[in-house]
Order: sequence, then structure tokens, then C-alpha cells
Amino acid sequence: MRLYEFEGKELFKKFKIPVMEARVASTPDEVYKAVSEMNIPVVLKSQVLTGGRGKAGGIKFAEGANEARTVAEELLKLEIKGYPVEKILIEPKVAIKQEYYLGVTIDRAKYKLVIIASGDGGVDIEETAEKNPDKIVKKEVSINEDLYTFDALLLAKQMGIPQELAKEGAAIIVRLLTMFKKYDAKLAEINPLVLTADGQLIAADARVSLDDDATFRHPDLADLNVEHRHEEGEMTPREKQATEWGIPYLDLDGNIGMFPGGAGFGIMGNDFVHHFGGKPANFMDSGGGPSPERIAKMLVLLDENPNVKAIFGARFGGISRCDDFAKGVLIFLNEHGLSKPMVFRMTGNMWQEGVRIFEEAKKENPAMFEHIEFHGIETPIEEIAKRAVELAEEAGA
Amino acid sequence: MAILCDKNSKVMVQGITGGAGKFHTERMLAYGTNIVGGVTPGKGGQVVAERPVFDTVYECVQATGADVSVIFLPAKFVKEAAIEAIRAGIKFVVVIPEHIPIHDMLYVREEAVKYGTTVIGGNTAGLITPGEANLGIMPDIAFQPGRVGTVSRSGSITYYVADTLTRTGYGETSCIGLGGDPVLGSTFAEILMKFEEDEKTKAVVMCGEIGGVYEELACEVIPKMKTHVLAMIGGLYAPPGKRMGHAGAIVEGKMGTAQDKLNMLANAGAHPCKTFLDIPDTLKKLGV
Repeated sequence: MRLYEFEGKELFKKFKIPVMEARVASTPDEVYKAVSEMNIPVVLKSQVLTGGRGKAGGIKFAEGANEARTVAEELLKLEIKGYPVEKILIEPKVAIKQEYYLGVTIDRAKYKLVIIASGDGGVDIEETAEKNPDKIVKKEVSINEDLYTFDALLLAKQMGIPQELAKEGAAIIVRLLTMFKKYDAKLAEINPLVLTADGQLIAADARVSLDDDATFRHPDLADLNVEHRHEEGEMTPREKQATEWGIPYLDLDGNIGMFPGGAGFGIMGNDFVHHFGGKPANFMDSGGGPSPERIAKMLVLLDENPNVKAIFGARFGGISRCDDFAKGVLIFLNEHGLSKPMVFRMTGNMWQEGVRIFEEAKKENPAMFEHIEFHGIETPIEEIAKRAVELAEEAGA
Repeated sequence: MAILCDKNSKVMVQGITGGAGKFHTERMLAYGTNIVGGVTPGKGGQVVAERPVFDTVYECVQATGADVSVIFLPAKFVKEAAIEAIRAGIKFVVVIPEHIPIHDMLYVREEAVKYGTTVIGGNTAGLITPGEANLGIMPDIAFQPGRVGTVSRSGSITYYVADTLTRTGYGETSCIGLGGDPVLGSTFAEILMKFEEDEKTKAVVMCGEIGGVYEELACEVIPKMKTHVLAMIGGLYAPPGKRMGHAGAIVEGKMGTAQDKLNMLANAGAHPCKTFLDIPDTLKKLGV
């Protein structure tokens, strides 16, 4: 979960990482009021969950409240990489002497936390890493060890913080790492960390991303007004619906409705459809051990999607059992009905029970199964993908 | 022969009294897995599937000699459970649940390295050594003893690959789910080297997917291996920047597109496959 700059800075404050006195506003009038009260030249920063907002015109200066209102009107109309600007962070405009980069992230290959620092701040660190790798210093830290002050002090000196501020710089490094560990962060970046003309070190930006799987142990985020959110940009109506139902789902631009099992085959099944000349209309993941109700909802999403011409189903029961899968398909057929041809393969844990459920229902109501082609373990999954491509072509013709 | 677990391994289940723990303990036993006991704190003295339940892993190991543990617990208890198992001397830990906090897995990894323990998961289907032991949630219908090993990020892909190997007569030595979470207990490289040491494994099929770094790391060991490596990568057609699939499966910056990974693996000496049916064709060409 990525935090807005103003939320990240609230966390910084909690850990005594210096930030500027700031206001947050969401209308031109609020901006006018805030700047009147501050009564100094300000910088207005669009709050969006993506980088590159400076280049996109999302950061502007204003000398006074009237100018700030006009600037805010423009900013609030902006959309940056698909993210509409809904909030503006207002900070005093300061004279900057030097910009540094300071970040903490996780090296998944080495299973270590890594502190990354550079005297070249304010720019894309990945670009610096590529073009001027010698301008970057890195320090690996084990999750179960603390960072010693002498290590932090050396880092501060290596990134070029002047001697008289090196201890303050070291303290910021230690505090950022402490915050990173305390809040289960995946990324915590200060870019830039600025040295102001009057000799202060201040975190001028905050890019913080927390682990969604660990938010359960940080209920206090709510006190900082950090709401749980999805990181993606705009969602389509169907993606929103799926999210409400708790189903990972993406709209794609093809015509084959993808009704696979877990995430792994969700991804590879899409590749197979492409491989045999078709195009998937979506990506979907049932999650581990889906309930019959969830299975039924997955089918509703596909049946109601006008782009879908045929449905490709695959269930290899592991933690998701075939009997639950069959029950889910039946709930869908009984309560909603299938308006498109569907071919699927079902095998794995409890497959006999799944087959029995289908056979009994078919005996009772054969018409309900009119558009369904059903296969078991004897048919390779590639054949199912090929057949789905054929069915979509027939339906589209 | 097999890797990490065979018919002689003494297996315990952490979370044996829970719904999923009990259901899958019975399934694993029905397969012939040598399950010797289980642990649920506070429920020591109970019996599940005719196996004794203990309060702590230490007590379970003392009483039963367990050396392998399968964890069926909610994600938030995994850190403590896995570290408990590692410190009690368990040599192989299987973390079935998904969405384990990343920092927790970093702590588990530190302990595992210190004690020389292998951990797989989170979000793994487990490990199966066909005909000998089934740890986790894998459906036995797909598997048959044979000569090819598999290692995959995804459970369902493991089943499809094994199903193909079984149908075409190759069979499997051991099949391992690495897990779908962003930070995993083991890497492809580590598991590949275990297969390399196993005489019966003539080839290994590794299946990765977009995102993460574990496939890239495998490229360091593949050139050193005598055992053939076949590679599949899911997500060749995944739109960049979209979160498709496992939490770990998002393309981060320039890292980790499926095509890049497949190319790197091929350059390292692996044999790329696009569909499951390419696997038996490739094995035939290699004379496996």
C-alpha cells in the first residue's frame, strides 16, 4: 500500500524525521485560506500515488494566497498518469543548498534490508544507479539487527552531508530504518533530503509503501488518517465490482472469459490462449480454497461481460476442492444461468465428488448444461484452451 | 530417491487441530505420509487422526523424532511457528498459508540460514515425493513415481506439469512448490542444487512467473548443473505494470518480465518450454 506524501510525512514526524510545517487542502478555497494564514511564499504539491509529478506540472509555486488559489484551480484539474489530483500539500518555499537521496528497501534476493544513499538527490535513483553507480552508497542490514550509529555516521559522510550536520544526518538514517521496521514497510524514500540555505536537513518528499499483508498489526495508521487502499490507478466498473467481491480481476481486451483456478495458472492460462491464437478478456484468480459462492460470482462477472464470447474454465483442485467448485458452478447455473458457451476441465482433490454433483444436476435439468463442454484429467489442458479459442471464433462469426 | 522428504521422514503438522490442518492431515496420511504427530499450543494431550497433539514443537520432536513440519496456521502466526520449528531442530519446514508479512519471512530466513533448515512457502502447495510422502495440499491424482523433478512458484502449475509427466510416462521424483508470496523461504537456485545432488532425478522442470528475482538467481547455478533444466515462465502476455496473479507477480521497473526471464534462463543453459506439452517433447529430445 503506497502512502501519499502527506501521509508519509505524518509517519516521518512520528519518528522525528524533520519535515516542514505543512497544510493539506482539497479545494481552491481551502488552499486560499491555508496560504493566507501561513502568509509566506509556498510550494503547492499535487498528491498522487505515482512518481514524475514534477515533470507532469504537478508542483507549482505561489507568492501569496490569491496566486495560490489560481494555481490550485489548475492543479485540481490535472490527471497524472491516470491519477486525478484530489489533494494538495502546501509547504513553505525554502532556498535549497543541496539535495540528497536516502532510501530503505528490501533486497529479496539476499533477504536483507538495504539502505541506499546518494549525494545526488532529487532525481530518479534508478537512473543514477545506472549512469553513475559510484555516486550511490549501500548498506545491507539484517532484519534482526539494529544499525549502529557509527555505521549511520559513515553513511552520512559518504553521501556528502557536511561535517557539522553529519550526526543529524546519521540520526535521520537510523530513524528511517526504525520506521521501516516498525511499520512493515517495503519502501521508504526521502528524495530529496534537502540541506536548506539556513543549514537545516529536511525531508522534502516522502515515498512510503507498506506491506498490505501486515496492516493488521498497525491499527494506529487509522489515527494518521491513512485509509487502506488499492495501489492501481483507475479501475473499470467490473474491476471495482470484482474488488468488492474480493476477487483479483483485471479487464483485458480479448473475448475469451478466463475462469481459471489459482493465480499461477491464471497467468499461464492467459499465455496458452494467446499461444493458440485467442485473446483473453480478463485475468482472474479464485484465491486459495474459494467458497462455492465465490466461484458463482466469478462466473457472473464473465457472463455479464459483453466482450466475452466463450468461457475457458480450469480447476485443478488442491486447497480449492472440486466439490466446492462444482457446487459454485451449480449456484451460478441455477440463480443466474449461462448465456455463453463454456468449456472446462476439472480434476484434483475431491474430483469424484465434483463429477457426481454435476451428473446428478444434469440428470435433473439437462437444458441447464446445454452450453457446457466438460472434461476430466484425460484431456490435456492445452486442448481445452484450443477449444475455447474455437468456441469464441464460432460465436464471434 | 527424493529430495527433502521421503517415506522415512517423520512429519509433524503445526495447526493440526484446525479445520484445514485436520482435513489435510487425514489426506496426507491416506497417501501414506509418515505423520508422527502435531502441535497446537494449548491443545497438548489431544489426538487428531490417531496422532498425538503437543503444545510445543520441542515436545513433539522429543516424543516422536519429527524432522519435517507442515504449517497450517493463519498467516500472522507463521513467523513464530516457523522459528519454533527451526530452533527445535526440524530440518524442513513447509509454509502452506499465503500473505505472510514480508518482514516476518525475513526473520524466518535469518533463522533458517543459521540452523541449516530448508523452508518453502508461504503460499506453497507443499512437496510431494510420489509414492512416499505428500506434504501439503497437492492432489495425488496428478503424480506417479518417476525420474523428473519439478519446482514451481504456483500450486496449479505444479499439478499441470506433473499431470503431463505422469500421462507421458516420465513420472516424478519430487515436486516442490516454492510459493507465491513476494518473499519466499527458498530460492529456485537452492532447490535446483538439491535436485542436482539426487541421482534419480534426470531432469528438472522449473516454472516461474513474472515479477520478483528468484528466476534470475537460478541462472547462476544452471550452468554448473549436470541435470537438465527445463524452464517455463508464466506471464509472457501479461500487460506490464498490472498486478496479475500472486502478490509477488508484479513487474517491478525493468526487472522481471516473463520474456526477459525466459531468455536469461535459456542463455544459462535451460531448455525453454511454452506449453506443458513442450515438456515431454523436450525430454524426449534430451534422451531422458
